[in-house]
Amino acid sequence: MTEQTRQTQVQAMSDTTIRVRQSLKKRYAREKRFRLFGMIAIIASLTFLAVLIISITIRGLPAFKQTFINLDVTLDAQTLGVDETADENALRRANYNGAIRNSLLELFPDVSSRKEKRALYSFVSKGGQYDLQAQVMADPALIGQTVNVWLPVGDDTSGYLRGHIDTTLPEKKRRFKDNQIAWVEELRSNGQIETRFNSTFFSRGDSREPELAGIKGSLFGSLLTLLVTLTLSFPIAVATAIYLEEFAPKNRWTDIIEVNINNLAAVPSIVFGLLGLAIFINFFQLPRSAPIVGGLVLSLMTLPTIIISARAALKSVPPSIRDAALGLGASRLQVVFHHVLPLAMPGILTGTIIGMAQALGETAPLLMIGMVAFIVDVPTTLTDPATVLPVQIFQWADLPEKGFVEKTSAAIMVLLGFLILMNATAVFLRRKFERKW
Amino acid sequence: MNKENTIPALDIDQQTPNEQTIEEIVASLGDTVGEARVENPKMSVSGVDVFYAEKQAIFGVDLDIANNEVISMIGPSGCGKSTLLRCLNRMNDTIPICRVTGEIMLDGEGIYSKDTDPVLLRARVGMVFQKPNPFPKSIYENVAYGPRLHGLNRNKADLDDIVVNSLRKAGIYDEVKNRLDDAGTSLSGGQQQRLCIARTIACSPEVILMDEPCSALDPIATAKIEELIDELRENYAIAIVTHSMQQAARVSQRTAYFHLGKLVEVGDTDTIFTNPKHELTEKYITGRFG
Amino acid sequence: MRTFNPEGHTAQAFDTELNDVKHKVMTMGGLVESMVHNGLEALLSMDESLGRQVMEDDHQANQFELDIDEDCTRILARRQPAASDLRLVIAIIKTITDLERIGDEAEKLGRIGVKLSSEANVPAYYKDLRHLGEHVKVMLRDALDAFTRMDVEAAFHTAAKDEAIDKEYSNFARLLISHMMENPANISHALDVSWCARSLERIADHACNICEYVIYLVEGQDIRHSNLDEMRKQLL
Repeated sequence: MTEQTRQTQVQAMSDTTIRVRQSLKKRYAREKRFRLFGMIAIIASLTFLAVLIISITIRGLPAFKQTFINLDVTLDAQTLGVDETADENALRRANYNGAIRNSLLELFPDVSSRKEKRALYSFVSKGGQYDLQAQVMADPALIGQTVNVWLPVGDDTSGYLRGHIDTTLPEKKRRFKDNQIAWVEELRSNGQIETRFNSTFFSRGDSREPELAGIKGSLFGSLLTLLVTLTLSFPIAVATAIYLEEFAPKNRWTDIIEVNINNLAAVPSIVFGLLGLAIFINFFQLPRSAPIVGGLVLSLMTLPTIIISARAALKSVPPSIRDAALGLGASRLQVVFHHVLPLAMPGILTGTIIGMAQALGETAPLLMIGMVAFIVDVPTTLTDPATVLPVQIFQWADLPEKGFVEKTSAAIMVLLGFLILMNATAVFLRRKFERKW
Repeated sequence: MNKENTIPALDIDQQTPNEQTIEEIVASLGDTVGEARVENPKMSVSGVDVFYAEKQAIFGVDLDIANNEVISMIGPSGCGKSTLLRCLNRMNDTIPICRVTGEIMLDGEGIYSKDTDPVLLRARVGMVFQKPNPFPKSIYENVAYGPRLHGLNRNKADLDDIVVNSLRKAGIYDEVKNRLDDAGTSLSGGQQQRLCIARTIACSPEVILMDEPCSALDPIATAKIEELIDELRENYAIAIVTHSMQQAARVSQRTAYFHLGKLVEVGDTDTIFTNPKHELTEKYITGRFG
Repeated sequence: MRTFNPEGHTAQAFDTELNDVKHKVMTMGGLVESMVHNGLEALLSMDESLGRQVMEDDHQANQFELDIDEDCTRILARRQPAASDLRLVIAIIKTITDLERIGDEAEKLGRIGVKLSSEANVPAYYKDLRHLGEHVKVMLRDALDAFTRMDVEAAFHTAAKDEAIDKEYSNFARLLISHMMENPANISHALDVSWCARSLERIADHACNICEYVIYLVEGQDIRHSNLDEMRKQLL
């Protein structure tokens, strides 16, 4: 190498260095800007999420509390219209409401006009009589005695006690009048009003009275529906994925099937509802509003999701494992069931649970098959009329009572809790199976 | 004077395939140099062509694999040596577009005939792969899988014996005897590969095929595997594909050189590595292309 | 017959290393050839200074041997040559041993030349010795040529001359014996000259070895200790 060429090389090198150095600043600035955008996006989405959760929590939390009023109820046979010897049917139909009203009147003997009486009676929820009924039916010997019971307060009273009623408004404009306020305050100072955990919310079905409405019915409806969905979609989807991934020849037919499965995953869920209505209810004559139909429809909807994730999980199993098993003389079925499937299982389970979570939150297709009906009873079989959590939320959100606004938020919280639980299970399963080796 | 060597100068660089099709080049390579046949072959390959869809990957190969002998297959990338190896236990069956014609015999029976079951064949002709690929199970389970699959054991004690013996034969028993329940994947690369060999041995195969078994290993692990291969030779017929010519020279008794899917030369390893007859073999071995 | 190393290696540095060492062998061959020539000349023309120069040159030849040996070791260790490359390195290692021995013999010629340079008159048998020496020189040159050109044909041809030289040597030895019987006073001189003739004969043997290495190198056949004619028929 001559001295000259070496010098030109050195010069060229330093030229490059200078140019690179100049462009570096720009590059780093660009990178910083990009990171900043990313951070802003994340902060924005986190803020929205926080706002959502906080607002729902604030609105929903009161629904987990319920206010009770303490009363000494005299269960005299005359008021109830039955005596100790009455049969079960008569006991059920006895006038417990009258007994409760009497005990209220005893507390405030001055009340005489009908209007005032009605205002007083509204203190106790219409559901109070059912509590009493249950007590008496469990022990008919109580008739003729005086029992001390805590009964749920009515919706307006509960609204006042929670401060939802603006007392500064003129009396005519509020639902809770001045005399009611005076009585309630008196009861409160006597320690006859107490706020407790709302077990009704979890132990009752739907009701027209907000203080009596619970999510048990829709929760069970959801669980039954999901049970059907899981038992149908998981085996079918896994079998489909295994066949398509491991056994099916690669030709035009399998290509078409693959494209269609991918497209199905993107079909709006209401379409599945229409399909379910047309096929399962109109053609197969399955009962309306039943978890089995809901489960079938949701299975159709989650199948593509699970198939796609199961195929991805199967595909991600290294081919060397297949080679190893084949090379030892395992048949293709043995290769799949001994090696590939266990390795793909965490991925498949994750996909399944995500699909299930999606199904749990689905409303639209269930509206089409009648799961939007007002159903008080808790469903126990697959053909009982039922509704599901998101539909329940949808229904409650429509109702004007203050109590239902709270319940809506509370039900959303329960639904979100379930979704988080399911996703946590997915994460846990994946961790557990992957950590094993 | 060696008549075989008077071949026209070839376009070795595959940069200009347009000028000569592969078929033309293969035709110009002439007949295989050296003795492809041995007495009492364990496996015998006759006139085998392999196609991937329309593309021919192997052109009329004749080759014998003898008992108690290591035969190494060498050649530049894409010369078809691995393809041929995978034909020997029908691993190519899993590739739908792969088509094999010609005859491959194991103990005088055609392995591609209708009567031969590929599952049974793979139990008799074991395979060790390029990348150590133990199952993500315990060391014990890895070795026990094959025997259990084929029902080689009558009871648990039998299985224990098979596992221990296989691990011993693969020269890894002393290293793992206290942790047979550990994951096979927790071993080092070289140990994993020996575990894979143990797993293959456990099915009591008659032939062991090895597809670049040391390409992912460090020199010391490689040396251990090579020593193991030499020991295994006493009981098995072994065919090994390797990219390392030194390795072929060290472990094998016979060497076959492939070029563009054609068996160019086969012969004693000593001869191939000191005095190859074919010009292409010479060029490949001395590092003049490939 | 095959052509030798028509193309370069993928690793070009390997080519350079092999070419360097081949070049060194040729240079060493040239040196040794001139040493034989000078040694013989020193003896025959009683040139003391030429004899001393040959003795000097021997150190250089030894140094060459060491150098080339080291180069070959390095190539073996780093490149692990195979086939023709392996044979080339092996042939070179052997060839330089023989060349070094030839150098030693030439040095012996030179030393005896120095010792005998003070003699008054030229003995009659010097003429026959020159004859023998010329034949040996030609053979050595042909052997080195064959090596340079990797020419198997020439190598066979040259190796075959060894027999004639052996015959010529035994004739010369007989001539010396008869001379010694005739002139007992000159026995010590004649003995020295007989050593020189012996050296020349050994040089021819080494040259013959070099030819055999060339054949091994090109054909991959070791023809040492076998019948030359048969091998020739087989290979050519």
